[in-house]
Amino acid sequence: MRYNASMRLLSAILLGKFVAFLTKLFKLGGGSAAPGLYALSIEPDLVKKLALKIPKNVVVTGTNGKTTTAKMLAHFAKESNLKVIRNHTGSNLERGIASTIISYVNPWGKQKFDLGIWELDEAAFNSVAPKLKPDLVVFLNIFRDQLDRYGEINTVLKRWQETLKKIPSQTKILINGDDANILELASSFKGHIQKFGVKDFKIVGESIVHKKEQENLDFEAKDVKLNGLNGSTFQLKIENLKLKINLPLPGIYHIYDTLAAFASAYHLNLPIRRLADTLKTYSPAFGRVEKLPFGYIFLIKNPAGATQVFETIAPNTKSDDHLLLALNDNLADGTDVSWIWDGEFEKLKVQSAKLKVICSGDRAEDLAVRLKYAGFDPKKITIEPDLKNAFRQARSGLKGKLFILPTYTAMLELQSTLAKSGLKKHYWEESD
Amino acid sequence: MKIVIGYLYGDLMNIYGDTGNIIALQKRAEWRGIDVEVKNISVGSRLKKGEADIFFFGGGQDQAQELVSRDLVVSRKGKTIKSEVERGVPLLAICGGYQLLGDYYRPHKGPKLPGISLFPAYTLASHDRMIGNIIIDSMFGKLVGFENHSGKTHLKKGTTALGMVNKGWGNNGKDRTEGCIHKNAIGCYMHGSLLPKNPKLADWLLKKALEVKYGKEIELEPLDDTLELQAHQMAVKKFG
Repeated sequence: MRYNASMRLLSAILLGKFVAFLTKLFKLGGGSAAPGLYALSIEPDLVKKLALKIPKNVVVTGTNGKTTTAKMLAHFAKESNLKVIRNHTGSNLERGIASTIISYVNPWGKQKFDLGIWELDEAAFNSVAPKLKPDLVVFLNIFRDQLDRYGEINTVLKRWQETLKKIPSQTKILINGDDANILELASSFKGHIQKFGVKDFKIVGESIVHKKEQENLDFEAKDVKLNGLNGSTFQLKIENLKLKINLPLPGIYHIYDTLAAFASAYHLNLPIRRLADTLKTYSPAFGRVEKLPFGYIFLIKNPAGATQVFETIAPNTKSDDHLLLALNDNLADGTDVSWIWDGEFEKLKVQSAKLKVICSGDRAEDLAVRLKYAGFDPKKITIEPDLKNAFRQARSGLKGKLFILPTYTAMLELQSTLAKSGLKKHYWEESD
Repeated sequence: MKIVIGYLYGDLMNIYGDTGNIIALQKRAEWRGIDVEVKNISVGSRLKKGEADIFFFGGGQDQAQELVSRDLVVSRKGKTIKSEVERGVPLLAICGGYQLLGDYYRPHKGPKLPGISLFPAYTLASHDRMIGNIIIDSMFGKLVGFENHSGKTHLKKGTTALGMVNKGWGNNGKDRTEGCIHKNAIGCYMHGSLLPKNPKLADWLLKKALEVKYGKEIELEPLDDTLELQAHQMAVKKFG
């Protein structure tokens, strides 16, 4: 029996490794899903069994900021000489996790990693997190996102609460103390929960705001100063420790991701004080906020995230800048594009009235209508559904910067356009 | 001229980007030099006759829907809305709002949520998720949107549907009807948002609102709807 089970695990790993080899050989993409998919068909408990081989596991979930947080924590861990394994291409379903572990695991001997960092989307969290037996779980925030896929916020919260009840009480749980919806999780966990947040700041953008006093925060950002597109500075307070942080990422939303990464590092006993200096060399995840030689890419994927991006870039645009927005309606983007009417494109308009604007993607026309109703001059809006052409048009005659705001699959397409034109590497070849 | 948009329970019932309908009504009025005021009418507030010239009612989460269903009855706002609609005041209700304006909504468990019987229709919870792009044929021509519901709405005999389903599920996935129209009130399952991409319907609501308010026939100044119609036609071509 035992022999059969371990044989099954071994064949699953080997099949996965073989599929990964084939995808790479025939250049079928990054191989971030297929190997796991095949391996899981042989051994459905693959993730559970292999996770036990990893000394420590951290799970990050929430609507926005998962990839940024996970990548920053990985950066901290590597700077502390830990070997990290993580699902870094945003493939955060069980098959993505399985693919990653398979690619790292040595089926015969000693393992070569110290820490697993796993980002899980709102739905995958419930099925995958318990299997990973995490030492630490981070809840970043919850906003309405792809209601066609995840359902309503209350539904997501209810499922998280059920999952939390099943997680052992010695697990460390970190939550965003400024997100009123997230705070409701606290009552469902038997163990101790710690909170991070920004002093005198409340998360906005949700319909049902439960007014609460500022919570007592265990990890707090104070004296926040935003420095346009260059980033921000703030003071990080952890118990008696105070640290000055220079964050090279713009926007208040990145401060939350940074707090979560520092709080996690603290729990993993990493040398926090020294890590603050390593932020200089941290480069953000592809497309989330990416600096290009001629401009920036900011991923937009739901109303709250998009509005935060608009707030961040609008004050920093000039009249000779160009704006390229791309809206797709594939499964990974959400098939319902109604969400653009909840995103406050009006905020993008304020300083950007004179910009050349190009709308692209499968739903370029919807985007153009949204911009018109946000106050943009329809005559200044160009519709070009084909992203490659749109990108070319957006770069022609560019004197200032180009701001590119794509949804998820448009961002992937754009990454490959950039790679093909030699402007950058394929995203799956990017290092951590 | 001026119109007041009564946003029914706008703080509780606003998921799926239905706010786009308010934006569309507001902008299309303002572009014609008509002043607009948007009034949130919610739990705890009162509603007087003549206070709003047009009503909008969006969809909400289940919890919010229960709260709103109770408030419509307790605060007597439901009665006022109904008598205003009988007087000709236009109304647009989407998804949850549409369901609460029928006779009742019967969930899987627990008691029925009573509606205000503005639309002669009732809704039963189902285990089917009716989700995707939808196109219907209506008196406003083709209408395009996105539906996402599991409740199945059945129209009673003699009730007029907003239109017939060309692509998608509609009221119940069976009889090909979508939505309901009674006097100048429209209820349906179409998100998208509905009005920005269906400007003819948006203008019909505005025209009715002004005509009822000012008691005379009104011709709205035409607008350049090139972008709106482009988005409309793209949806018809891609999903039809």
